[in-house]
Parts: sequence; structure tokens; C-alpha cells
Amino acid sequence: MTALAEVAAYVPEQRVPIESLAAELDLTPMQVKVFRRYHGLAEVSRDPDRSLLDLLTCATDQLSGLPGQRDRIRYVLYARSMAVVAPFPLNPLHELSGRLGLGHAIAFTVTHQACATSLLAIHMAGRMLAADDDPEALALVVAGEKAFTRMAQMVPETSLFAEASAACLVSRDGPRDRLLAYAARSRGEFDGDPAERPDLLATFQSAYPAALAEVIAAAVAKAGLRLNDVSLILPHNVNLVSWRRVCRQLDFPVTRVLLDNVPAIGHGFCADAFINYRTAASRGLLKAGDRYVIAAAGAAMGATFSAMVFQH
Amino acid sequence: MSGSPLRERVVESIHVVLPKVLARDVAPEFSEHTRLMEDLGLTSAATLELMLELEENLDIQIDVERIEPTDLASIGALANYVADHAVVAG
Repeated sequence: MTALAEVAAYVPEQRVPIESLAAELDLTPMQVKVFRRYHGLAEVSRDPDRSLLDLLTCATDQLSGLPGQRDRIRYVLYARSMAVVAPFPLNPLHELSGRLGLGHAIAFTVTHQACATSLLAIHMAGRMLAADDDPEALALVVAGEKAFTRMAQMVPETSLFAEASAACLVSRDGPRDRLLAYAARSRGEFDGDPAERPDLLATFQSAYPAALAEVIAAAVAKAGLRLNDVSLILPHNVNLVSWRRVCRQLDFPVTRVLLDNVPAIGHGFCADAFINYRTAASRGLLKAGDRYVIAAAGAAMGATFSAMVFQH
Repeated sequence: MSGSPLRERVVESIHVVLPKVLARDVAPEFSEHTRLMEDLGLTSAATLELMLELEENLDIQIDVERIEPTDLASIGALANYVADHAVVAG
């Protein structure tokens, strides 16, 4: 059973108040107010002096199990929201592998499920490890991106991106943070250019709460559990209002969704789940045996709604 | 709340702030039965912007925690919700 052997996260100290992004992102004062009042965004973390490679390294440096187990790492997966993050021929993932002494590992990027891609990466890592000859083999999953273009700074009407990073060692089996179930729904009907199809955003926003609630419920059922058995949901930090709507759909208390990092950090692309895991662990919110859900949704070319159930 | 003085003010205020939120005139199609999303193309985020504009225009605070999709079905439904969930400032 796929397990998370270790999870690390890096959040830069610098914060940018969302009001100061208004001019750059062409936001009206009212749109900024909506972000703050209803979406619950207040500040986003930024790390202007660090490159993407350095940002990722800050997370991998915190994996205490990495230095002693380099030889066991067979796969390095980079879970990414944005398809392109560096100009050709730069390849931050291969540079990272080299820097970490993981040149022997198969390294590739997982993308096209936007902010739900980190769940896909864990799932893929688990499947590859299950098929590997070596039962002790490990996979390293990394996440985190630079808010380097307008598109990488904002999801229109929805969220503001943050610079942060995460790293996770995945094992074929293990005693902690065992993956009980994974459910994902890719919804092709949301594919299209919003400029050509202005109805698309409204349709997606309207369908979003029920779609994310459905996939969470499906993952919980697949794990043989009921929602009441779930002690905590570790969300993607998209905004507060959408999570309140998802919780109403599920009849699940919003107090059991760890939303504190939405105002404090912003939406850290695919790194949110791991950052929130670290927050939960450091606050003692996860006890041995607790079942928790990681859930995310992303829209880019089409939309994907995903949820995973783990046992701590 | 239907027909209350506040509700009448809310409808008037929606009439005033909608063109601002939509960045276009809505007068020809405006009625209590006008559907916000289907007829006017309002997104859920634009609906939140509309709420903030109404708060400023009417000098009230609106509790949006309990809002349901049915409350956004039409201008009349929204007016009902706002009138029922408004806390008058001051």
C-alpha cells in the first residue's frame, strides 16, 4: 500500500499583501476586496531572490531521509500546475536531480491536471513503485512554482498564487500515511478558451462545489469509510468561499478543513497539500490512526477533481 | 421580507450597481425575473462583487455564508436574500 515516508515543505518568509498586486494584475479595488473579504486571501508568499531550482531545493533539503537513501530513489516526479516554467533548454527538474545526487533516477514532470496534479503524482509514484523489482525503492515527488507571469500569479476571480515548495518521499509500503484510496474525475467539458466561450467560467464555477464534494465522497467510500471517519481535510489553498460551499455539499464541518494557510500563504500551486500536511503535523492535528483527506481541483485545459484518503 | 422597504431599496440598488459590475447597461432586460447567470452572464465571483457593491451602496453588511444557488437564481431571489441577511450598519 503506497505510503508517504516523509513530507517536507518550504514557505518563504516574505509576504506580499494582495492589495499591492492590484496594479500589476489589473485588479479593480472591488476585485481586491472580493479576494480579501470572500475568498479569504490576505497575503501571498514570495521569494524573489530564489530561482525555481533553489525554491525546490529548499524543500528537498528538509527531507531528513533523503541523504541516506539516495540509492533507493528510483523516480523523481515534479508535480506541476503550469505546463511551462522555464525557457528551453533549461530543465529545473533535471538540474534538481543532479544537485541532489539523483542522476540515476528516472525524472519526469507530471502536469495537465493543474493544481490536482500532486495527487496524480503520488498515485503514479505508488504504481511505479508497486511494479518495481525492488520493494525498498522510493520515489521523490516535488512541487512548487514561481509566480513569474500574470497567468502564474492569479486564477481569475478565484485565487492568487504563492511561491512555496514541497517534497515528499513515497514508498511502496510503510507504516505511516498510508494511501487508502484515490479518486479523480477529469471533466473535458470544461476545456476551452474563456475568451471564445465566456460561459465556460460561469459553468465551471457553478459545477465546482458539487464536483469536488462528489470526488471526496467517492474516495472516502472507496476507502470503506464514512465522512464522519475523516478527521481532517487538507485542501488546496484556492480560497475560503469555495471550500465552504464544498463543505455544505458534503455536510462536513468547515472547521475540519485546514484553511489557515489560505490567508497566510495563498495558493501554492501543487505544493498546498504537502504544506498543509506539515502545518497539521506541527500542530498535532494528526494522530496515529487518523484518516484524513487530501483534495484538490484544477482547471486549465479541462478540469480535474481529485481526492485521496490516507491513514496517519 | 418580500415588499419590505429594505427589499425595495435592494432592488433599486441592484439596478444601480449591476451595470458597474457587468460593465454594460442592463436596463432593457432588467426585471425581478431576470436570471443573474443565464440571462446576464454573471459569474459566481462577479456575484460576490455585486454583493460588495450592494453593501457599499446601501450601507449594510450582508451575511453571505448561507447563500445558496437558488438565492442567485434571479434578481428577485437575490433581493429576498439580501433583505433577509442584511445587518444595517451603524
